[in-house]
Amino acid sequence: MATIDYPLPKLEPFKGQKKIPLEEFFTSGHRTCQGCESALVMKMMAKAAGPRTIVLGSTGCMYVANTTYYSTSWVIPWMHTQLGSSGSAALGTAAGLKALMRKGKMKKEPINVIAFCGDGGGADMGLSAISATLTHPDYNLLILMYDNESYANTDIQLSGSTPYGANTTFSPPGKVKRILHHRWKKNMAGMLAAGHPECKYIATVDMSYGLQAMNCVRKALSIGGPTFIHSLDPCPKGWDYDPMISHDLGELAVTTGVWPLYEIENGLLKLYGKTKEIAEGRYKRLPVRDYLLRQGRFAHFKDEDFDYFQSKIDQMWEKWLYPGIIPFRAELDKE
Amino acid sequence: MGRLFAVEIVYRGIFQKTLAKHISRAIVLAAHREGKPGISFGRYGDSPERNGIPAKAFAIVATDDITLEEGMAKYEPKEVDITINLDDTMCKGVESWAWYGLQPINRLLKANGTLIVTSREEPEKLIAMCHRKEAPYKLAIVKGIPSFSGLWVFKDDHTDVRVLGAVARVLPELFSIESLKQMILDDGENPLKATSAQRSYERLTTVTVKPNQGNPEKPYEFELLKWTEMRDGITIPAITPGHAMKDPVTGQTGGFQPERNATFKKFSTRTMRPVVNFDTCIKCTLCWLQCPDSCFDVTPEGLYDANMVSCCGCGVCEAVCPVPNCVTMVNEIGFSDNAGQWEMWRKDKEGYGTWLKDKIESHPVRSHGFRYRGQYEEQVPEALAAAEGD
Repeated sequence: MATIDYPLPKLEPFKGQKKIPLEEFFTSGHRTCQGCESALVMKMMAKAAGPRTIVLGSTGCMYVANTTYYSTSWVIPWMHTQLGSSGSAALGTAAGLKALMRKGKMKKEPINVIAFCGDGGGADMGLSAISATLTHPDYNLLILMYDNESYANTDIQLSGSTPYGANTTFSPPGKVKRILHHRWKKNMAGMLAAGHPECKYIATVDMSYGLQAMNCVRKALSIGGPTFIHSLDPCPKGWDYDPMISHDLGELAVTTGVWPLYEIENGLLKLYGKTKEIAEGRYKRLPVRDYLLRQGRFAHFKDEDFDYFQSKIDQMWEKWLYPGIIPFRAELDKE
Repeated sequence: MGRLFAVEIVYRGIFQKTLAKHISRAIVLAAHREGKPGISFGRYGDSPERNGIPAKAFAIVATDDITLEEGMAKYEPKEVDITINLDDTMCKGVESWAWYGLQPINRLLKANGTLIVTSREEPEKLIAMCHRKEAPYKLAIVKGIPSFSGLWVFKDDHTDVRVLGAVARVLPELFSIESLKQMILDDGENPLKATSAQRSYERLTTVTVKPNQGNPEKPYEFELLKWTEMRDGITIPAITPGHAMKDPVTGQTGGFQPERNATFKKFSTRTMRPVVNFDTCIKCTLCWLQCPDSCFDVTPEGLYDANMVSCCGCGVCEAVCPVPNCVTMVNEIGFSDNAGQWEMWRKDKEGYGTWLKDKIESHPVRSHGFRYRGQYEEQVPEALAAAEGD
């Protein structure tokens, strides 16, 4: 049986855009790019979690750019951890707090533990540690993966989360071979949800829908147990676009159906926001072209590439057992 | 010993990375045609680059191998013959990745060296922005719109060859215009680019900047903790929580102003800044909430004041604002300070309205990067026309 013998935080959802608290716990003065959506993830995550929070950051943009040369933008305590160890760092910190409280060396009080990782640190290198952590029911923690779809910190190398066909340092389009990256993006949140039946909360978020994203963080921290959130972050450097359209691209990822928003709470799947409207037929998915044409990393795409990308997204929405989450069909549903 | 030539190229991180690489490479190749060895390289400390944060590339050339070896036995040049500044707003100084505090744009220039700037502005304007220097130097303007693109798609608006034409003019000992043009053609470039280099060479005008000209301010510096001053486990203090704001007129307190990282300012990362029309603001919170740099202070009456200490000029606030013309991104060239706008508005609303109108209308609109396919092809004719002085 799961035993969390210390108090859990009570984090009610923010009731509306204007009810969001003014205090910042991740503040200004970081060296991220203009229009960095991952920095926005840090800000919103810290705002949602509040002052009694410890943040652990694995190597990546949000480590290097935010805490450069002994300077920091964090108001709450933050510690660096190795590239692949966001899972272990979160688990170890939560276990340490639990032990200190049990031994009476610390007051028993709710303290949020959040470990963040990029897509390289999380979906590639840190996958096994995250997986192991999600099977430990005795510790309350959140692992948040900010996915900018490449190793952006070191100048855009291809990761397991890079979308089909994108230009990266490892996949430059050439005259003979136009598409050098022909693997499909990992389905990280769906994979973790399917593979960790005891995990109480897994969600996908997009900071262009900030209020909903913050409420996902609050639910993840207060549900009790290890939880996981996957955020898609437009990256002006790696996706090659004018930083001014960061927010628009975040919205387009959802409205074109490329990035489905959902939460899986105690085994119950809920689509939310525009994704829910798409699934219920109340909103028509925009063509993926609208999203891809605005990014320089797809500037080499020809019609057939757009068509292929669109067909894969259509397949996800029309053929998957659960659109955007479980990428197979049940035998009973065979046509 | 022979002669050593050092050229630095100061550019906007990522936006001008490819452009700077083209220029430093071409300097070495053009000089090589005249038998001079050289090396082109990016400054290690500026990597990994971030969009907008100033970065540097260098081209070091010598008349013989030994002199080059001697010149390269340093981490980076201590002084340069030419500083190329690819974006005029950096004349205010640069705060790069590997540097705490502001460096004047002309810091490394030798006495009588030349600062080459790509700009649409007149020399007086740029001289006033640059910090004063003890020795005289020259300012040469390559007329045109500062060229911005991204990591993957390059905007070929001839800025590279036009800057190189200017280098041939101000320092013919490094390479001649003939060597440059031949190098461009041998490189398989469009022959029109050799013509652009020649045009720039012919049209370049240079003015001398005297020691008593320029910005008299001392560039700001920061003192970082030494390792002996850090706490156990090499920890450093977190940023303290923020505080309420105070109305400069009524003395009313409220709202929220976060504390900010004291050792990194974003002044020199900006090419544009938001100006806010407080009279039309509907207090929707979006600019404040969606700002990745938390640059908006919340005033006692619930307005949002973009704090210029932390704004890096991305423009997301303008993009998310639902009210037309409430938040407008304006060319940074039009500002000589980082004064708070809300305070100005509270003290004199009418005067602020005039100021706002002037800032929005009096300077060329800028953009910074890829928005849609075909955009650069549309922009190149405009860029070439601006270079011709139209």
